[in-house]
Amino acid sequence: MSSHDLPGKKSGLADPPSLLNNPSRRSVLGAIAGVGSAVAASALLSVSPLSLRTAAAAAMPGTSKGGYKLDLGGYRGPELATEPVTLRFMRQDYPPELNDLINSVYAKFTAAYPNITIKEERVPYGDLPKKVQVYVASGSAPDIMMGRNDFTLAYHAGKIALPLQDYFTPEYVADIFDNAREAASVDNNLYCVPWETNTVFMYFNRDLFEKAGVATPPEVSDLTKGWSFDEYLDALRRVKSGLATKGVTDVWALAASPYGNGGPGSNYTQMESIWVRAQGDPAAPKGSPGYLTLMGISDDGRKTTGAIDTPEAIQGMKNYQALFKEGLTPTGAVAHQFEAGVAATVFGGINEANLFSLPGGAPAFKWGATPAPRGKLVFNANTSDSPMVWAKAPHPAEAAALLAYMCNDANRIDFHRVWGSMPARKSLTDQIPKYKTDQPYQLAAAVGANSYSAPRTVGYFDYFNVMNPTVKDIALGADPAQRLKAAATRIDALLRKYT
Amino acid sequence: MAAFTAPGGTYHHAKHPLFGWFMVVPAIVGLSLFQFLPLGTAIVDSFGAFDPFDQSPTGWGGWSNYAAILDDPIFTSAVINTVAYIVLTLILTIPLALALAVLLDRRLPGTTFARCAIIGALAASEAVTASIWNQMYEPSTGLFNALLNALGFANQPFITGDNQALISIVVMSVWKDVGLPMLIFLAGLQAIPGELRDAAALDGAGGWRTFTRIILPQLRPSLVVAVFMVTINATRIFTPIIIMTQGGPDWATANLTYYAYAQSFEFTSPGTASAAVVCLLALLVIVTAVQIRLLRPAKGG
Repeated sequence: MSSHDLPGKKSGLADPPSLLNNPSRRSVLGAIAGVGSAVAASALLSVSPLSLRTAAAAAMPGTSKGGYKLDLGGYRGPELATEPVTLRFMRQDYPPELNDLINSVYAKFTAAYPNITIKEERVPYGDLPKKVQVYVASGSAPDIMMGRNDFTLAYHAGKIALPLQDYFTPEYVADIFDNAREAASVDNNLYCVPWETNTVFMYFNRDLFEKAGVATPPEVSDLTKGWSFDEYLDALRRVKSGLATKGVTDVWALAASPYGNGGPGSNYTQMESIWVRAQGDPAAPKGSPGYLTLMGISDDGRKTTGAIDTPEAIQGMKNYQALFKEGLTPTGAVAHQFEAGVAATVFGGINEANLFSLPGGAPAFKWGATPAPRGKLVFNANTSDSPMVWAKAPHPAEAAALLAYMCNDANRIDFHRVWGSMPARKSLTDQIPKYKTDQPYQLAAAVGANSYSAPRTVGYFDYFNVMNPTVKDIALGADPAQRLKAAATRIDALLRKYT
Repeated sequence: MAAFTAPGGTYHHAKHPLFGWFMVVPAIVGLSLFQFLPLGTAIVDSFGAFDPFDQSPTGWGGWSNYAAILDDPIFTSAVINTVAYIVLTLILTIPLALALAVLLDRRLPGTTFARCAIIGALAASEAVTASIWNQMYEPSTGLFNALLNALGFANQPFITGDNQALISIVVMSVWKDVGLPMLIFLAGLQAIPGELRDAAALDGAGGWRTFTRIILPQLRPSLVVAVFMVTINATRIFTPIIIMTQGGPDWATANLTYYAYAQSFEFTSPGTASAAVVCLLALLVIVTAVQIRLLRPAKGG
């Protein structure tokens, strides 16, 4: 519509001076009539042939599983609305090829449901938890937000996430690996959908080990057959000194952490807790220091004193600190050191192996994979990026359907093919033969199957935000015993607000 | 309202009784929305109780938020750090800005380049500047330690050591922000009548004596403005802290601004965050009052 045929023009709206300067009854009534006719006309115009076609297409029955127009995966909610719906989705930014893939998934969804518009917001990965929190506080959160199953108890207690049990089939939920499902559930109700499986193990640069004259670590998938922390630290020291004797002084024994926003203390859940919680003992009696070191918090989720400041935890952090004190790893965030061949080892997930196997992705050195160092156990957190539907989403069924569509078998296989991470569902992993045949993938599967939950507390956000700077301080030289005790005191104080 | 005079003549728009209000309403609305409303909200919230999950208000908390922060040793440390930021920034910025202004006022060779460089740093994004300095300070691979190593000195924990991190942030901040007080001083210097300097020279006053007895007293108004602006900037310094140290190590670089941010965004506690903001405001009022008293011209002088 061009400006000259605006409906209100003839009724005085286009003559504001007369209305403002001399507001006669006639001009006021004319203005009201103008506004009324403008609203009516715009309402009529909104029912365009296009929108009629859209509504008709949306209302057509589907032929996919469940009678929907697409394979909505595990979705079992009502048929989707036919009126225009806008869904907002907030997630982390991925590399361009993965962003393109996700955009193509949106395109297929909106082609089948043309009345649904998807608006996406991408944020830096490390900022996701804060963004979720700020959005929830604002009262206008995206319909779907990339959460994490570490925070499931908070999503439940704070009524932040929609319980998804009514929207997903029991078969779909049962297919999620047990420990990921448990981490994402409260009282057997799923609050977020595990997106992938966290599998942290260690890669090593075979060439650098050989050059240093140090035996490479065991390339096994049996977690009990890897190096202990003592063996690991000793090997790193020998790699450093061995390389130095060959005149190589610009190579690190361990690459800077690639997790979170990088460097020490960037992601306690996935990375640094390995050093602490691996010192715990799964066989120790409940309430004992060994048990609490593994759990990271008391059973009621309220007290960390006696859990993160135990002698075992302090020893774990002393081992961690040695990496930095002895110059085995950088004290700051430095990206891609392992891939660049300037670090002999790195902690990473299976997507690293996948990246190396892609055309053009192979590094310029020979590499291998070995379990993360072993304390009383090899620790891996079952944390996972896990999208959730906001509890107050105006269109919960449509949001759940979009999420389910993104998580259907085909879309997830495509995602894991490009991104390389391990699926969170058994049936998907079964479709990828490498998990049965290739050692790094078998190792990833073993790590995934032997994972432990993030400390179970409604206040894990506070916990996480205290522990990250704490381990960074320890990395930079703070006394582990003093800092862990101070952190425990602080977390306990912060958790009191949830009582 | 009386008529006002412009270069081209006298205007009489002001005869309408609402004209004055029409002129000030935008400023009143802007100040109310962006200054007084947030301030009022912070004061009210500092006495409120909030849901820790969605941060919605749940009732009246009385003085509990103030009691909580006063009981928190990190708050005490943040107050001390805030004062340290103010004092160190003033000590470094004001003399440096004055020296730069005097040098630039002499129009020596390279003055234009120096002026552009200083104003360029001032115009640069604070976040970008902090990121660049963060890389230069980086303990293992940063430029500064590489230079120290090349000169035979040991690595320094610029932003990772308890005793160096705060001063390292101040140095970065001074480098970036010295341009504004320098411009203020430069404007002040250029407003001093040349006759005063000529008269001092005729009386046989040397350069230092002229500067301390003639120039500096004439710069008092500029000095007052510069000190207030630097104080306010130093009090609310935030971006370099969050980018370079996140308040660490062990809260050694956290000031009240960062403390309030952490309370709100890291520990989901809007009540204590608001209480910290009110304390910050109170501190700023006290510091400014002290400065007004100290910078007040002596009686009869």
